[in-house]
Amino acid sequence: MGFFMTFSQKIWDLLFIATFLIGSAFIWMTRTTPGAASPTIAPAPAATQPAPLVGHPAPEFTLTAADGSQVALNDLRGRVVLINLWATWCPPCRAEMPAIQQAYERFRDQGFIVLAINQQEDVASVVTYMNDQRLTFPALLDSDARVAAAYQARVLPSSFFVDRRGIIRAVYRGPMSRGMIEGTIEQLIVETP
Amino acid sequence: MYPIIELGPLNLGSGALLLVIAVFVGHTRFERVARLRGGESLEYRASRCAPFALVGAAIGARLWYGLFNWDMYSQSPGLFLALRLGDLAWPGALIGGALTGYAYLRLRRMDDAAASLADAAALALPLAQAIASLGLLLSGDVLGAPTDLPWALPLFGVLRHPVALYYLLATLATWGALAWVARFASQPGTLAILYLALQGSALLVLEALRVDSLVTAGGVRVAQVVGLTMILMVLWWKRTHTAHAPQSL
Repeated sequence: MGFFMTFSQKIWDLLFIATFLIGSAFIWMTRTTPGAASPTIAPAPAATQPAPLVGHPAPEFTLTAADGSQVALNDLRGRVVLINLWATWCPPCRAEMPAIQQAYERFRDQGFIVLAINQQEDVASVVTYMNDQRLTFPALLDSDARVAAAYQARVLPSSFFVDRRGIIRAVYRGPMSRGMIEGTIEQLIVETP
Repeated sequence: MYPIIELGPLNLGSGALLLVIAVFVGHTRFERVARLRGGESLEYRASRCAPFALVGAAIGARLWYGLFNWDMYSQSPGLFLALRLGDLAWPGALIGGALTGYAYLRLRRMDDAAASLADAAALALPLAQAIASLGLLLSGDVLGAPTDLPWALPLFGVLRHPVALYYLLATLATWGALAWVARFASQPGTLAILYLALQGSALLVLEALRVDSLVTAGGVRVAQVVGLTMILMVLWWKRTHTAHAPQSL
């Protein structure tokens, strides 16, 4: 029993060429155009009380970095911040680090920074890991899990995207894909506070 | 978005969990459909070929993703072996699985059943894809373009096209169409060809609504190129068969 239509060979030739041309034109018209996003205005915060939730101000913290410096979240106002809670023993955390590094290299000149907050490991392990993996963003030491508690990080990795005003705009518990990381940063980086 | 399913002390990635279920369902249905359509002989061939096709699909999915993220993967080759759901690409899985399955059949001199097995795969894959798409919807691994359409879903604070849901509906529609055609299509390969045409169309259209597509030169989305190629393959196949056999399928 015939299912496909019974066209002559010439008709199939024409269909093939037409599909190729129309399909190619569609692909070209819908191609991605990096950097084409126009500035948008950040939405009003949903709340004023700091909490690890979307729409709330990010809970403030000051931690010691692996290089010995002090890093305070408040000092990073005006930049888009990815707070990533992780540990070297956590395979999904390790697996998403290259994607975070790529995003950091791509967007840092536009005001993006990563705070990789390590959970209760010694500084030597953290420095060794960061150097071995050629990760250049700041690694902070959450020695007493104070930040993990404030951000209710029951799962590692846990990630919080903070906009230029210090408002949490996206929360992700579990490993993130590269597209997810870069798509979210692209959205936040063009916003005016 | 529910990327983590908490079962007591266990935290399971929803996307990974549903992907495992999808593979199990797809594998089981593939063998069952093969038995229904070709008896024990075809079921035996399906059961022999399936593990190799699955391994080929997994390798293809990761290689495809790594190839189109070469800047990152070349810096960290360990990623090729990392257990990351987000770093798998469906076109690579389809190509890898099909090539490996066919290579196995050729090596074992069972390739006379290739078209019938491809039909069985075409009937088994859509349900598995629908389950995997549900996993992607829960995990948020498919980032749609912002939109204010009534059915937009919030993801990362923005209303977006629920592309994973679109893919789910597309695979269910594919499944329905194939199940209907299967009732009267007797020529081996018909269902596989129809599957390619429908899935190619879905890739071509739906991928345009993503903002996290794998891209190649000029910002062209790779999955759309694969989708168009699938449609063109079907048309070329039909043209060739029209030339050599006046009878249609």
